[in-house]
Amino acid sequence: MDAIIQAFGLVFTWPVLATLVGAALFGLLVGAVPGLTATMATALLVPLTFFMDPIPAVGAMVTCAAMAIFAGDIPGALLRIPGTPASAAYVDETYAMTRRGEAETVLGACVLFSALGGLFGTVVLIFAAPALAEFALNFSSQEYFWMAMLGLTCAAFIGATSPVRGMISLLIGLLVSTVGLNNAAGVPRFTFGSTDLMAGIDFIPAMIGLFAISEVLRTMAAGAPSWDNVQVKVGNIFRNWGGMIVRYWRQQVRGNVVGTAIGILPGAGADVAAYVSYAISKRLSKTPGKYGKGHLEGVVEATASNNAALSSAWVPALVFGIPGDTITAIVIGVLYVKGLNPGPTLFLFNPQMIYAVFLIFILANLLMVPLGWLVIKLARGLLRTPRAILMPIILVFCIVGAFASNNAAYGIVVMLAFGILGFFMEENEIPIAPCILGIVIGPILERNFVTTMIKSDGSLLTFIDRPIAAVLALALAVIWASVLYSTFRNRAAASA
Amino acid sequence: MRFSDTMLGTVLLLLGASIAIYARTLPAVPGQQYGAAAFPTLIGLAMIGCALLLFVKGWQAGSVPLVARTEWTRQPGALLAVAITIVCIVAYILLARRIGFVPMSVAILIVLFRSLSVSWGKTVFFAVAATLVTDYVFRSLLLVPLPFGIMPRLPW
Repeated sequence: MDAIIQAFGLVFTWPVLATLVGAALFGLLVGAVPGLTATMATALLVPLTFFMDPIPAVGAMVTCAAMAIFAGDIPGALLRIPGTPASAAYVDETYAMTRRGEAETVLGACVLFSALGGLFGTVVLIFAAPALAEFALNFSSQEYFWMAMLGLTCAAFIGATSPVRGMISLLIGLLVSTVGLNNAAGVPRFTFGSTDLMAGIDFIPAMIGLFAISEVLRTMAAGAPSWDNVQVKVGNIFRNWGGMIVRYWRQQVRGNVVGTAIGILPGAGADVAAYVSYAISKRLSKTPGKYGKGHLEGVVEATASNNAALSSAWVPALVFGIPGDTITAIVIGVLYVKGLNPGPTLFLFNPQMIYAVFLIFILANLLMVPLGWLVIKLARGLLRTPRAILMPIILVFCIVGAFASNNAAYGIVVMLAFGILGFFMEENEIPIAPCILGIVIGPILERNFVTTMIKSDGSLLTFIDRPIAAVLALALAVIWASVLYSTFRNRAAASA
Repeated sequence: MRFSDTMLGTVLLLLGASIAIYARTLPAVPGQQYGAAAFPTLIGLAMIGCALLLFVKGWQAGSVPLVARTEWTRQPGALLAVAITIVCIVAYILLARRIGFVPMSVAILIVLFRSLSVSWGKTVFFAVAATLVTDYVFRSLLLVPLPFGIMPRLPW
């Protein structure tokens, strides 16, 4: 109880609340601009968080990400361009409704069910994380090894159109994570005599490069065309809220549960959750024929799902230090910088921090309603901002952000290299998310593998001689088998 | 620039093989079977595995050009715009220390705005305004030591 009161004291101070509102507005703006993703919003926020106390730093990232995922629905509905990949699953649906003159209904539903989904995910986070943390205190290096493997597997295979390309992206990330002195033997690897590389490749500039610079390059290549003008007028978004909750409670609950479950899986995040929920909704619907032509049912389920996934992705991140999605991958980096090493012991020694994070989650999802209304009102003006002005400014912001990560030009070099890499990967349809997760999970995987091998004197059987480890290994085997099975079935179907 | 499966596989094969070979040069930990080399070796081998899968795919797909130009590269000026952006970042890396953040940032913004054919008035206004705001936020509020170079210290 003491910890909860302390948490209130940590959160309800003017600087923290002001930071949250600022981060919320930033997240809404970035999310609402097509091409700028929630992950990019979080990555751009990181240089700013270096200079904050731990609670406002984490709070800013939580709020910013939640807002960006919701705001991605706005250009989807108004222009048929999803603001973030998590909105791509149902963009045709929302746009069709806008064209029928139901923009306020669909955007209202997006605000309402996003906030409810986020709150549901938060409730699960609040109850599941401490219980899991207690459980995780029994974990040894074997269990962490399998958790890391599970995270990598989900990252590469779930939601990837081509498992091989997901795998390639993952391997690039793992390779990047091996650079430097940071390994069990303390041997410099892939440093080629450079002292900068000894410390490893800095994660933050790499992120900024992969997500922001590659997008800047793409927009520059396209000549930064402006978006079509938004012609629609959005009326009162709060109309029909009561009716929608009554009518779509089933979809809402199902979206929440599926989204939360996918979010908890290490490595799979909001965009995967939205696709899966939309597909489930269509399959279980009584009127599947209406899908794709502007039907609210699927939108409700998917938008509830992506925000729920965003909150529950924090479960593995806080409990095991294994990211639930790309956003929590960034957050884990920031937690380490702030001395809040994620893991079960965080719950033992710093419970007030954990409760403060929970509080911020609740606040963020409540803030979503008034601020979401504001941004929807401003959306027409916002989408009229020419990209030709926006993109160069983002580039300068990226340069400064990459520099700020360790106050050296080396950060900018890393940013540029990863920007070009990300650009090339997108050109070749290699997804970027697995690479990021590889960079974060790689060291965890290697450390626990080598530790286990040292403990057991090189016997591989140790990995499955503890009960929890054996169960995790089995779960992993099932996922691998199902990926192989579906690949072969698809191939057989294609050749038949 | 889009690589065919065969081309991508070749690049990956070479990369994987060189990683695995490089890993053999890493010293072993005395008395241990798995040291610094284990993980890079596995990554290298997995890359080779992916390369082989890509070769199979490429072989099934029949003959496609090894490297194809993607749609956007055919648009006039597209490649130039990408090159200009990259050159701007490189110029910043090389020159910012000597010249300073403010002049470099203004210069980069002017070049990029103009290459996207923003009007001169807007170009100058946004280049100066965005630079000064960034400078204020990062140098003064966040205490990032952005290089001064030839610029005198601004009054904030």
